Amino acid sequence: MNVSLRIQDSARVVDITGEVDLKGSPVLRKTLFDALREFKKVALNLSGIRYIDSSGIAVMIEALRESQRLDRRFVLFGMNPAVYDVFKLTHVIRIFQVTETEEQALEA
Amino acid sequence: MTSSDSESLPELFLDAKIVMSSDARLLAALRSAVGNLTLELGWSESDSRAITLAVDEAMTNKIRHACKGRADARIQIEFRTEPGALVFQLTDHGEPPDPEKLCARQKGSAVPGGLGTHIIRDVMDEVSYVTDDAGNHLILKKQLPHGSSPESLP
Repeated sequence: MNVSLRIQDSARVVDITGEVDLKGSPVLRKTLFDALREFKKVALNLSGIRYIDSSGIAVMIEALRESQRLDRRFVLFGMNPAVYDVFKLTHVIRIFQVTETEEQALEA
Repeated sequence: MTSSDSESLPELFLDAKIVMSSDARLLAALRSAVGNLTLELGWSESDSRAITLAVDEAMTNKIRHACKGRADARIQIEFRTEPGALVFQLTDHGEPPDPEKLCARQKGSAVPGGLGTHIIRDVMDEVSYVTDDAGNHLILKKQLPHGSSPESLP
């Protein structure tokens, strides 16, 4: 798993690529929590994820709760079939704000 | 390949066992093996991804809960065909699972824990937990897709 960070329109954009599993999810958690402390909006780009397991989804749920605690926006975008299938199996997609494109995520 | 070629192929049989460290670095290799196997046995890309995820979740649960996150324990994974089904059996020698905690989470709730157990139950046709002198076994059974019919050993 690789994580890269950008600032776009005063929001933090987090690009993840590769496989998010038990090995990588702690890194993702720290990245998202750090970003939420620093930025009012954090947009997570899912388009480069080849595989994600429930530990990765759990990190996103934790990040969402942290964003609510800190009064921040946390938006997901670029969902691909590999990620969508796992969200569907975990029945949690409805709790997230999800957009198709980065532009939409930044406007949300 | 013609349909007559396909009909003349021998039925697939599998009875394999691997023992691996309870180390998350090995999960990708396990996923690769399960993914290739399930595609070869005739599941669709989407179904293969789901089965791979379920086995990965089972392995992850064993690493996190039975092995308490230690990377130096041993987990055995058996893959075998039975008539009409593919079976995965994961065995560890750590903490037995607590039946009270299995699937205690409500589906769709905004709680981070317990997602993996729901995935396993949703994807697999049969899920059973057995603890005996040989260890803690998690047995996952999935009916083969239509058209596949491997036979087990007599």
